[in-house]
Amino acid sequence: MPLLKVTWQGRQRTLSFESDPSLREILDTTDSRVRSGCRGNGRCGLCLVQVEAGTVNEPTENERVGLTQEQLDQGIRFACQVVPRHDLWISIVNPAPASNWKSIAMHEYFSPLESPTIVNTQRQGIRLSTGVAIDLGTTHISITLWDMYGGKRLTGRSGLNQQLLFGADVMTRVVAANESVERAREISQLAVDSIGEALFDICSREGLNPRDITHVSIVGNTPELALLSEKNYDMLLQPKFWTRQIDCQPGNTRPWSVAWHVNPHAVVDIISPLAGFVGSDLLAGVLATAMTAQPKVSLLIDFGTNSEMALWDGFTLLVTSAAGGPAFEGSGLSCGMPAVAGAIYKIEHDEYSQDFTFQVLAGTDPKGLCGSGMVDLIAYLLRAGALDRKGKLTGEMPSEGFPLLKGSRGIVLTNRDIDIFQRAKAGIGAGIRLLLKSADMTTKNLERVYVSGAFGRFLNVKNAQDIGLLPRVQPHSIELCGNTALAGCEMLLVSPDRLIEMESIRKRARVINMSNHSEFEELFLENLYVKPMETD
Amino acid sequence: MDALINALLVGNGADSIAHSQRLLHAGVSVERIVIEGIEEAMTSLDEKCTVSQFNLLEIMLVGRSVTDVMNYLYPGGSLPAGSKDTVVLATMEGDIHDLGKNILKTVLMGKGYRVVDCGKDCPLQKLVDVSEKESPLAVGISGLVTSIIPLVKQVRGSLRARGLEQVKVMAGGAALKQSSAERLHVDYLAETAFDGANYLDRISGGAIP
Repeated sequence: MPLLKVTWQGRQRTLSFESDPSLREILDTTDSRVRSGCRGNGRCGLCLVQVEAGTVNEPTENERVGLTQEQLDQGIRFACQVVPRHDLWISIVNPAPASNWKSIAMHEYFSPLESPTIVNTQRQGIRLSTGVAIDLGTTHISITLWDMYGGKRLTGRSGLNQQLLFGADVMTRVVAANESVERAREISQLAVDSIGEALFDICSREGLNPRDITHVSIVGNTPELALLSEKNYDMLLQPKFWTRQIDCQPGNTRPWSVAWHVNPHAVVDIISPLAGFVGSDLLAGVLATAMTAQPKVSLLIDFGTNSEMALWDGFTLLVTSAAGGPAFEGSGLSCGMPAVAGAIYKIEHDEYSQDFTFQVLAGTDPKGLCGSGMVDLIAYLLRAGALDRKGKLTGEMPSEGFPLLKGSRGIVLTNRDIDIFQRAKAGIGAGIRLLLKSADMTTKNLERVYVSGAFGRFLNVKNAQDIGLLPRVQPHSIELCGNTALAGCEMLLVSPDRLIEMESIRKRARVINMSNHSEFEELFLENLYVKPMETD
Repeated sequence: MDALINALLVGNGADSIAHSQRLLHAGVSVERIVIEGIEEAMTSLDEKCTVSQFNLLEIMLVGRSVTDVMNYLYPGGSLPAGSKDTVVLATMEGDIHDLGKNILKTVLMGKGYRVVDCGKDCPLQKLVDVSEKESPLAVGISGLVTSIIPLVKQVRGSLRARGLEQVKVMAGGAALKQSSAERLHVDYLAETAFDGANYLDRISGGAIP
């Protein structure tokens, strides 16, 4: 892939890119964005960059109109009109203010929805109507905007959920909400504000009118939806409700519409969760993968702070969840970080040179490991004999841990990091094994495994299987799906008839509460080991 | 004895039993195996389990082999008279996560305490009834969910109401650790299972002979 060198505000980075999107689209997936005010058609003239070295396409008609001859001579261009195909060095003339929000990269989307086949026929006649699909996650919020008339995705953003102020995991937030009604209001407001910020970022940068937004659909895990709606979050502290339905429908969404500056008559739909710890994000993922629409035995694993799993045996959808903490999102680990700029997401080791090669998100200096990088490193250490199956670093290892990068800004994988990772892994492994046992099956019955969530598409399947994070099935039957929750939410937004499908998924679902099973502790212990998952 | 300690520490239950068997045949008393073998292993594990070196799998495995050996040495689960004090453990009603409680149970058994386990989802009434019957040194309650806090707060009062004011109440677990002993109305809030066990060692060596 060609390389793009970017200089902005005294900083510099190099990133690789696919030679198809415009320069602005490439920059938008990073935190070095250029200012903009239209949908990238060369009209607003804000996205000024200067070509320092390299060849690019000739200036377009819009650029000839919008830029002076002197500017053109200096190599000043509109980033949206430049489609780089070879190595290039540019500097950003007009940088955008720092923002929590960045464009969702193509690889984070679940592919089936990229084809514009979903055309909504029911809403014809409305001249302009924009819809918003939201996946309200514990750590990240992902939002896409849709042209409801044409059934086309316009753009998407993801950013951190500001509720992080009240704790990295949902339980801490739920406990905080239970302190007082005012506190609960505050926590809800943080989610509302986060969504509002994302919509402002989208509309101001893409030149869209928020008033055109007439529909908003939201999926999420149950605690997040309950906290957003300020309803029944107290039930989540009582285990008896964890497998029961919890009403998360908000009373009046008008204040949200006002805060978001969307159409005052906008319809805001919260897609109801299935139970206390099985959210509508998982149901949406099931819908998006269409796993229940076919007879194959299939498993969906949605990796997150609260990981959820669904097993389809051809008749029933068995679902469960494991609160393993945000290890897969890189939080809580001394060397971990979320999948944002600076995160090492792929590690390879050369046996001859004994060197590691990293791939770092957004091409910046490596700052830490995100989930998929962690999987690669642990699998490598296991293979190299530097880590035993119990998860302890062996041999001549420095007491602080394994130094992946040395120096003052070094990255060290500690025993404690591995322990936290093992626990998160064990919850999921135990969940998968328990779902299979409940269906009287083994991993050998699995014909398809869908992996969605924090890992995006970066996960090395073989490494994940080696350390027991994914079941040992043929690697080609494992599909890395990106964000399936968002994909399902988009389907529900654009094609309301999908709600019927959703209801039938709901009817076929059976919630399994792991901690009620006597085998749980045994399975948890078995899956704490860093070794391939059992197949019996 | 060192072989037994090693087998316990690597979590090999079968080897641990084999070594205990060998020691018994060589005329070593059960008490010595517990004190010089199991307790020694627990102390060594305690030292190994600093925050930075903590590994849940390791502890669970050691716990299992200790349980195996204890079951071998004391078939039927009853410790002979003259062993250390009794501790009643429970995960309170509304909570079904008893991993933490089980780890504490193992540590205490390894140290020679007699443990009466009330299990998970244990009603307050049951805990008090069992305590009345067993007259323990202390009651240990663990909790992962904060919803049990109101129940935890009632434990000491309920014990006192039955005339069991000498029974110390100790709490631990993810949800309770964030609070304080005063707020929970308990005598001690344990950071870890080992911390809790050390607390019991201190009070058992003190007030109660």
